[in-house]
Amino acid sequence: MESEDDIIDDLVSMEDDFYSGDFSDYYDDPNDEDNDYYSDGDDDYGLLEDDEDDQEAVVSRRDQLGYTVLKEADIKQRQEDDISKVSTVLSISRVDATLLLRYYNWSVSKVHDEWFADEEGVRQTVGLLETPVVQVSNARELTCGICFESLPRDNITSAACGHPFCRTCWQGYICTTINDGPGCLSLRCPVPSCNAAVGQDMIDKLATIEEKKKYSRYLLRSYIEDNRKTKWCPAPGCEFAVDFAVGGGNFDVSCICSRNFCWNCTEEAHRPVDCNTVAKWILKNSAESENMNWILANSKPCPKCKRPIEKNQGCMHMTCTPPCKFEFCWLCLGTWSEHGERTGGFYACNRYEAAKQEGVYDEAERRREMAKNSLEKYTHYYERWASNQLSRQKALADLNQMQTVQLEKLSDLQCTPESQLKFITEAWLQIVECRRVLKWTYAYGYYLPEHEHAKRQFFEYLQGEAESGLERLHQCAEKELNKFILCDGPSKEFDEFRAKLAGLTSVTKNYFENLVRALENGLADVDSQAVAACSKTTSSKNLGGTSKGRGGRGKGSSKTGGSSRNVDDTSN
Amino acid sequence: MSGGIARGRLAEERKAWRKNHPHGFVAKPETLPDGTVNLMVWHCTIPGKAGTDWEGGYFPLTLHFSEDYPSKPPKCKFPQGFFHPNVYPSGTVCLSILNEDSGWRPAITVKQILVGIQDLLDAPNPADPAQTEGYHLFIQDANEYKRRVRQQAKQYPPLV
Repeated sequence: MESEDDIIDDLVSMEDDFYSGDFSDYYDDPNDEDNDYYSDGDDDYGLLEDDEDDQEAVVSRRDQLGYTVLKEADIKQRQEDDISKVSTVLSISRVDATLLLRYYNWSVSKVHDEWFADEEGVRQTVGLLETPVVQVSNARELTCGICFESLPRDNITSAACGHPFCRTCWQGYICTTINDGPGCLSLRCPVPSCNAAVGQDMIDKLATIEEKKKYSRYLLRSYIEDNRKTKWCPAPGCEFAVDFAVGGGNFDVSCICSRNFCWNCTEEAHRPVDCNTVAKWILKNSAESENMNWILANSKPCPKCKRPIEKNQGCMHMTCTPPCKFEFCWLCLGTWSEHGERTGGFYACNRYEAAKQEGVYDEAERRREMAKNSLEKYTHYYERWASNQLSRQKALADLNQMQTVQLEKLSDLQCTPESQLKFITEAWLQIVECRRVLKWTYAYGYYLPEHEHAKRQFFEYLQGEAESGLERLHQCAEKELNKFILCDGPSKEFDEFRAKLAGLTSVTKNYFENLVRALENGLADVDSQAVAACSKTTSSKNLGGTSKGRGGRGKGSSKTGGSSRNVDDTSN
Repeated sequence: MSGGIARGRLAEERKAWRKNHPHGFVAKPETLPDGTVNLMVWHCTIPGKAGTDWEGGYFPLTLHFSEDYPSKPPKCKFPQGFFHPNVYPSGTVCLSILNEDSGWRPAITVKQILVGIQDLLDAPNPADPAQTEGYHLFIQDANEYKRRVRQQAKQYPPLV
């Protein structure tokens, strides 16, 4: 164990209420774990270690298992290996093995199963012919089936089926299909009724260098894209792929390009929120965030379904779009069926006065208010979601700056080796991760049902604590650190600062991990205990018990909650 | 790809067609006002199959070939507003073998296209509707559909 641990222990003894939860997993030597995580891809492990800039990979390394990041060379190697395997086991050419594998989405076992169940059938569907379907005559000249010209035999080529075409026409055919996209991987003979496959041997023989390059690119892409177990990293420009062992409960993966993403939906990593919610939220953002102001200024929400409606025609008789189809009056937002001569004509609604007298208008007003609130609610969550997103990007930039410039400076100033300043990088990595989680809790909050009062209350409490805890850490890593970068020489308080920042990092880490777990659980603890939540004493116990990591914020709860642990027990 | 394949191939197609073609069909390249022949546009006629509601109609179809032919299929058009579930309002025929992304192969000939479209006339593909009217009648009102088809066949009598 490294020196920070001693310091932490010291700090704990000084101020032990501040800490709770389990340190040990974080302070284990990461090298011990890497060997397990990357057991089936030693190369990746090497690369991860070499890449010093690779910040985010480290962030998520701790709770990931069961996936491998593949570089282009790895992908090619695996593809070659699979082709060799099939080619050897089935005693067919590598070209045919490639065609077979591609047809069965690169699943070696599927190819084996199908082939041994019905070789003839598989040959037929994939187009691997054993004998030509047409007998090539011995004539000196043959007619090309595309240009219909008679040409010397040397100019004529055929796929396994034997249908004769001249080189020029083959080239045209191949060129067109390759330029049309990955469909060229399942190229067939140009004869409409013939399903003989045209494989890479023909491409190599007939295509230009440029086209061959494209073809092999498609082949490589197909290996990742058609395979159920692999996906490209969605980061722009990133050429790595991720092989995911299906079955793990957690889809968060971290590419060596530093992109963290969800393997299931390929959006950015979004724990504790599930993929559906994320999709809904992203759709909502793209549909509404830019338009929000315009909508607020120019539309009224449908009194029934709350969708914003712009009035673009003269008449006051509004019909909401299906499926709602609610008919209402634009002026009073009341049901249209109640309009008519009685209310002063269809197009001059004077219900306002009458309604006001009867007190009906209050109802309409209230509904409009509600509709407005739904937009306001969204704006509220969106703003917070977006500002955490921004904050995270800023933190990433700061982290980078820290690693490239500041740490070196600080090391000189404080006469401390850079290896002893790891706690600063770790603090920043934690901030980046926490901003990400916090951001998604706002999407979570938006979709948390209104009527679940106890849950909402508890959620907002947890979220508030998370915000303020993270704020404290961020403040410490940003402002307080600055003091030591701007001063002229070593400062006595630096050790104290180290202890504080390391401490805050670990507390925040624990808190967020517990937060993620609690939210992924759907705040299940609230259900079981909500009944008793009316009494003040019980509810405060609830909070202490559920949010393990939260312990330490309020001085009392960390001691009383059964889940809070003392650092001394677990750290070494 | 190399230039002149399209014209060479079309010239050969024309030759082959003159030697032998299915009964009742017409297919010939357009003649321009100055008397020259434009091989890239063919005016054709497809007879409705005997024994079907299409019988008696001789339906005009224009084939537009591109320089990429035969790598890319020609565009096949009936007159605008032609009544058939798989014909777009513009008259363009929607048929798998004419789709450059899936069914088209460069060895498909004009003869095969025309016979393919003749088959399509009486065997529409409801999975691939191209116009609302024809599609809805075909699905919902068989009698009215039949009536419309017969009426259309009368609109296109043989050119004697």
